[in-house]
Amino acid sequence: MHIKKSMKMADVIQMNYMLIPVIHRFGIELGFGDKTVDQVCEENEVDLNFFLQLVNAYHDQDYFPKEELQSIPVREIIAYLKMTHASYLNNTVTDIEQKIKSLELEGNEDKKYIALIRNFFEGYKSELTEHIMREEDVVFPYVLAVDEIIKSEQFTDKNKKVFESFSIEEYEEEHDDVEEKLMDLRTIMIKYVAPPANTNLYHSIIQDLFRLEEDLNYHSRIEDKVLIPKIILMEKSIKNLF
Amino acid sequence: MPRISILIAESTCLIRKGLSSVIQKLGNVEILQSVSNKAELCDIVNRLKPDILIANPNMFDSDYEDLKKPFVAANKMSLVLISEDKSIEDTYNADAFIHYKDNQSKILEIIEEIVNQKTEKKRINKSNETLSSREQNILKHIALGLTNKEIADQLFISIHTVVTHRKNITQKLGIKSVSGLTVYAILNNLINMDEVK
Repeated sequence: MHIKKSMKMADVIQMNYMLIPVIHRFGIELGFGDKTVDQVCEENEVDLNFFLQLVNAYHDQDYFPKEELQSIPVREIIAYLKMTHASYLNNTVTDIEQKIKSLELEGNEDKKYIALIRNFFEGYKSELTEHIMREEDVVFPYVLAVDEIIKSEQFTDKNKKVFESFSIEEYEEEHDDVEEKLMDLRTIMIKYVAPPANTNLYHSIIQDLFRLEEDLNYHSRIEDKVLIPKIILMEKSIKNLF
Repeated sequence: MPRISILIAESTCLIRKGLSSVIQKLGNVEILQSVSNKAELCDIVNRLKPDILIANPNMFDSDYEDLKKPFVAANKMSLVLISEDKSIEDTYNADAFIHYKDNQSKILEIIEEIVNQKTEKKRINKSNETLSSREQNILKHIALGLTNKEIADQLFISIHTVVTHRKNITQKLGIKSVSGLTVYAILNNLINMDEVK
């Protein structure tokens, strides 16, 4: 079932709790009573069309908006992706790291194993950070430059330079193996480590890893299905323009 | 987790049954059988190969030390001695001791400790079984940070063979990244933590 603007926002969240962090990134807080998606978006000055496309793409793996997609402003997508990045680095990943650290502090004979897990997770974190930084420093500015060229129908010195320095194809190629480590960590914790005394905390870390992975999958889906196709089209039309 | 099997050898029926019911409180263990004489004991150990033997030394008569080596060590059993006589700790050599007067929690504590050691050993042996010794060796080199080319040169095999081994290792373990494989190698004592760069 697709999410529509006339639905109650509360029902949308009941349908898929993974959308809680998503709406939060839009600045929408829980406690919306019986307000519809439409009303909540208006109150929070969120672009309704973009919001709908996004939550639907999150909610349904096979959802692939075509015409609607073209109408979403590039700036909105980029702003959203940046918010998502920040929330990964500042909240999700940091929380997991904290949990692993407190597990390590509690540990006695398991300490060695937990230290291994912590090291591994820190390695993952720096890889993820690097990946995100590259997106924010190279990919996003490129995308915004492409958008600017299309809108103004002309090159300036600045955006020409950015445009020529990169192409979205490059991005597509480098865009898959950050998740590999995350999957390895969960496999190791499930298959190869005997859980430490505080099993509750240990389990909760594993569950967090699953959720992070799921959320990252959603995130890449937005990039792969919304952002990249849009940019490929824009690159083509720039080539036709000049 | 693998279950740990325990054999109780004690001539007093009440003690045998009582101890067995106390030990049942630990999950993850299985009482194979309890025996009351030496002949039966030897027979059952050879047939069922228990992980832990809890025995009263008076069952062995005087040939305790003779028995210990070929019997306990050869079968890789952990030995726990049980007696009413406190002095057994000085007379005999064993992995742990239980006295008739010990209360339930003390007994459980002693047995649990031995069970944990056993579980740990089993875990390590078992997970290593899934990789062939060649694969373990390759994994060790990967974990030490060597490239395919370097591994091939050191082991006098072709790069192609190294790649095939790597594929199999990844498939068996479900771990793809080099750092993940390194963690696995450390957990399974293939390499030391200090060896990793």
